[in-house]
Amino acid sequence: MALVHKLLNGTYILRKCPKPGVASCPFLSTRFADYCSSSLEKPVAAPGKAPSQRKTEGNLEGHHQREVALDITSPEDKPEVSFDKAIKEEIKDHFRRLKDDIVNHWIGPEGRPLHEVLMEQAKVVWQFRGKEDLDKWIVTSDKTIGGRSEVFLKMGRNNQSALLYGTLSSEAPQDGESGRSGYCAMISKIPTGPFERKRFYDWSQFNTLYLRVRGDGRPWMVNIREDTDIIQRKDQMYSYFMFTRGGPYWQEVKIPFSKFFFSNRGRIRDAQYKLLLDKISSIGFTLADKVDGPFFLEIDFIGVFTDPAHTEEFAYENSPELNPRLFK
Amino acid sequence: MSWAQAILLARGLSRGWGGICSTALTGAPFSQVTPQAPRGLHCSTAAHQPDSPLVPRPPEPQRGLVKALAPHEELFRQAPDGVRDKASFVQAVQNFTQYNVHKRGHVDFIYLALRKMREYGVERDLAIYNLLLDIFPKEVFRPRNIFHSIFLHYPRQQECGIAVLEQMENHGVMPNKETEFLLTQIFGRKSYPMLKFVRMKLWFTRFKNINPFPVPRDLPQDPVDLARLALRHMEPDLSARVTVYQMPLSKDSTDATDPTEPHIIGIQSPDQQAALAHHDPARPIFIEGPFSLWLRDKCVYYHILRADLLPPEERLDLAYGRSSWDDYEFNIDEVEEGPVFAICMAGAHDQATLAKWIQGLQETNPTLARIPVVFRLSASSGELLASSSGLEEPPLTPPEGREEEENNQQRQQQSQS
Repeated sequence: MALVHKLLNGTYILRKCPKPGVASCPFLSTRFADYCSSSLEKPVAAPGKAPSQRKTEGNLEGHHQREVALDITSPEDKPEVSFDKAIKEEIKDHFRRLKDDIVNHWIGPEGRPLHEVLMEQAKVVWQFRGKEDLDKWIVTSDKTIGGRSEVFLKMGRNNQSALLYGTLSSEAPQDGESGRSGYCAMISKIPTGPFERKRFYDWSQFNTLYLRVRGDGRPWMVNIREDTDIIQRKDQMYSYFMFTRGGPYWQEVKIPFSKFFFSNRGRIRDAQYKLLLDKISSIGFTLADKVDGPFFLEIDFIGVFTDPAHTEEFAYENSPELNPRLFK
Repeated sequence: MSWAQAILLARGLSRGWGGICSTALTGAPFSQVTPQAPRGLHCSTAAHQPDSPLVPRPPEPQRGLVKALAPHEELFRQAPDGVRDKASFVQAVQNFTQYNVHKRGHVDFIYLALRKMREYGVERDLAIYNLLLDIFPKEVFRPRNIFHSIFLHYPRQQECGIAVLEQMENHGVMPNKETEFLLTQIFGRKSYPMLKFVRMKLWFTRFKNINPFPVPRDLPQDPVDLARLALRHMEPDLSARVTVYQMPLSKDSTDATDPTEPHIIGIQSPDQQAALAHHDPARPIFIEGPFSLWLRDKCVYYHILRADLLPPEERLDLAYGRSSWDDYEFNIDEVEEGPVFAICMAGAHDQATLAKWIQGLQETNPTLARIPVVFRLSASSGELLASSSGLEEPPLTPPEGREEEENNQQRQQQSQS
């Protein structure tokens, strides 16, 4: 994280921020990006250990600086777990999933017959109907860099939606290098196959992202990350804004994938590329609009669909002034 | 090394050690050593307390009172009755240029001015930013030959220029031709501040109008107008009517949000009116709230009048005929909630105020008199409390989770009496 700070302050890579009224602070996202990639591994490791110390009633918050205290389970919390038995069960589980994977491969992509997959025009990717759906998400805030924002995720009313709520505080941490702070984020975990192999989503037939949300009027930023096997890709993401209306009515947000702009290490790059949909690894929502106070966002489900009326391929053209090399 | 250097070194080291010892004694984390790190040998000793450095220093809060002033900060100090506004800011900047013909320390001054802008309320004023850029000496920092352009020419100044543009960007100020001219004059066309300017021009114009629900930048100060704007913002039905049920007491000596007579403003569309007219009087309707709505940086609270969902048997099931090729429906049951009949914003969040709203609503919805109304207000006073940092469920009551305060059901007698 210090390295990122140094890079941001010491070098002269200029950054572009999108519409200021929205105030996304993308430069901070690199820090939670760094953090996020390390925390994504954490819940996945240690199959034998009891997960009780990591989650409390569905509250998921990526602890980083508080991990040290959390990993020590209190004596009365320790369940009776036999390490060998847990390991054996885990291995059996993985082999079972591997077998399912191989069998599914013969049926069709992801275990569904091919004609069904090809004809599909609307697909629900994440829904929030139970606690296990919340496990697919991680929430972070600038607590990891020493800020004061807090964010929590829990099931909403009647277990029909997820509620992401908390308080944003743009008080900068007194660590001598951050000038600004104040962000909260909810990121989906990278889907894993058997033996924790990274998998990805393939949305190449769809062209629009659909979200049914109910917010409080704050502007959010939607970030999509591509497959992170290549090291550099860890810092790259495609983002766009989601403006919530506020109010008691559910809001349908449709963002075509052609509108996502490319950014690396938290800064918009001059050379813009289209988002390629065949290897998506995670999606995330960030709130960093520089306004202190409580916030909430209720999400019903997240899906992708094909909008036949949308024919735009990519919304941003490269400018010869900023990128003369592309136009030679 | 000579004895003078040895003494200075010893003094510097002891100061550093004293810092470490004192922080160790007070138990503060070691990161606080940084402000007391031994200064260079050539720095003056006047800034630090000259008494014995091994005696533990007083803790942080007291030390805050003896903060060292930033260079040029005295230019921004004012008479106690002086108002901090644009004119005094401009005056302070002009004082700097006046007393300092050679503009020594202009980088520090510009950083200080950027920090002070918020106090003076000028952070969104483009003229002020141009004035700050004007402080830079012109033509000096432009690269003149190939060696200047290979190596970053005058790096601190370029960083400072970028900082000015970055603050402009943070506050949503679009630079103009004057800024461009100034930047070209000061740094040249191939410099980093100029590059940042080009990027700002490009991305600002791209993202200027992407908000489908725009909120004006200058929000009205009057709570009634603000509530009107907020209600219109929330209600998608354009034919909805905003009604002011109660105006706040006029300000003679009290402020507008008098607790005895807060403002009550409601909104209801004709469809909602019709739905309420058809509502079965045997089933109660609920007043829920308060929920928060953010408009730019202002948070307002609103309540809603809604009914529960009809049980599945009574619900109309409209199945649209779809062709087998086109299926844009998502394979999920969307969250369904009962219909909302009206929304209101009031100065206070207690039952008495909301009861007045209901009475006001009864004028346009006579059937409301027969329907029992239940108050489901959230336990907090409407302000969402700051949650304690802890691992347990925070005490903050999220707006959707509320304790039902099933209260006495309002009947027609109350309205008729």
